[in-house]
Amino acid sequence: MTDIVQSLSGSGIGLRQPHYREVFERLPELAFLEVHSENFFLEGGASMHALERARAAYPISLHGVGLSLASADAMAGEHLAKLKRLIDRVEPVLVSEHLCWGGVAGVHFNDLLPLPYTGEALALLASRIDHVQATLKRRILVENLSAYVECRDSEMTETAFLAELARRTGCGLLLDVNNLYVNAINFGFDPVARLAELDAASVGQMHLAGHTVVDDCLIDTHGSLVCDPVWSLYEEACRRFGPKPTLIEWDTDLPSLDVLLSQAAQASAIAQREVAHA
Amino acid sequence: MPELLHFQTDFAAALRERRSTPAMQRWLAGSDELVERRMAIYRANMVAAAEKALASAYPVIRQVVGEDFFHGLAREYQRGTPSTSGDLTGFGATFDAFLAAFEHTRVMPYLPDLARLEWAVHRAYGAADAPDWDPAALGTVEPERQAAIRFHWAPGTAVVASGHPIVRIWTIHQPGYDGEFSVAWDLADTALVSRDGFAVSVNYCRPDDAAFMAASLAGQPFGNAAADALAAHPHFDLGALLGRAISARLICGFTL
Repeated sequence: MTDIVQSLSGSGIGLRQPHYREVFERLPELAFLEVHSENFFLEGGASMHALERARAAYPISLHGVGLSLASADAMAGEHLAKLKRLIDRVEPVLVSEHLCWGGVAGVHFNDLLPLPYTGEALALLASRIDHVQATLKRRILVENLSAYVECRDSEMTETAFLAELARRTGCGLLLDVNNLYVNAINFGFDPVARLAELDAASVGQMHLAGHTVVDDCLIDTHGSLVCDPVWSLYEEACRRFGPKPTLIEWDTDLPSLDVLLSQAAQASAIAQREVAHA
Repeated sequence: MPELLHFQTDFAAALRERRSTPAMQRWLAGSDELVERRMAIYRANMVAAAEKALASAYPVIRQVVGEDFFHGLAREYQRGTPSTSGDLTGFGATFDAFLAAFEHTRVMPYLPDLARLEWAVHRAYGAADAPDWDPAALGTVEPERQAAIRFHWAPGTAVVASGHPIVRIWTIHQPGYDGEFSVAWDLADTALVSRDGFAVSVNYCRPDDAAFMAASLAGQPFGNAAADALAAHPHFDLGALLGRAISARLICGFTL
């Protein structure tokens, strides 16, 4: 499997419809553009045309939110086939999915739902990821989740689970620094200790985003600036893992393009500084 | 049942029905009260995902009924017709039937047809780009075989007939519309939905043209579609319709 992850460095942003025109006019300096794979499971039309224009100017990162790798009963073959067609069309530099399930027994919740980190789940996920990588004929990255509930039956941490998945399947990991921080606050653990469970070579991308505080819970809303503790954790991750392609994720209450570009520039500056010190 | 399947089955039940949440207490850490509150976040996400998908497909209905009412519609629709796919592009296909049956929307009898129009627009937006085609190819068909021609309409082309002024309602709710807002409620509009390049357009369609197009879009050969349209509409001008359809690239091929 070709390791194209290593050929990409720097920061990227999500390409969202309100910014299409400005991005194509300005062509800002970015390492890549990210889109949600499912938004482009279309035959043609304006969205596909925009993605093809973007592809002509930037490497594309396809980020999936609906494959539901961890559904206990079945993973939708049709969804995987649609993803394969999109990959063939766009030739993305990165393809990622989440360590989650989204539906069971034929009903889909279109959310990223948590699971207990058990040996049973590990065996299921490893076989699913083997199947996905064999079908897509490429390595995928699997992302850690933000969660609001914690399973009593977990036998290991999420990061240990991901590290083992990477070892068993050769998949890469997408470290979402905001998700790790959100969970650290929601469940009361030390996020830096969790970074120590990951192997630098397996981390293929990092995500940064904003979250919302509701009562005693941080909610992963992707609708605000990256907060200071998440920047600090990102610095620590850069020291440990080296510079990795990093995405500024912003999906709700979209700001001006310049806000996204400034967040991406801040991520790039941190990555360069921390690597210089390492 | 394997543990992971059991966990997900209970989790799904708790999302679908709040009263099923206590079953999650054996699976999740924390007090009963904490589990209840945190599961409510996921339940809200479930409704929000459905609402976002419906709002994307039905922006006019959302304006017509208002955001708060639309939120309630999305919650009720999702409850009865949950998503079955990680890809929400097809979610909302039966919203018209839901609106026709839902007791609180019966006072707006035009909503189901408006929903069918918006769904046709939604489908047209992501339809395949029409292939290039030279209409001169039609001239090569021998006259005795012309009745067997099956036209290929550009992907996304659709005819939506209604007993209500749905084209007018749709038009005055478009972004940037700056005309006047009166609606003649006794009119019955038939809409022609088509892709003009990457833009989707909605236009009034004459009933006779609509009769031909509906038959032709359904795969009827040219001869049958024309005969049906003429029987119902003696003044149907087939030549004029074909001329317009070909010059607008609505027809982009044929098979014999």
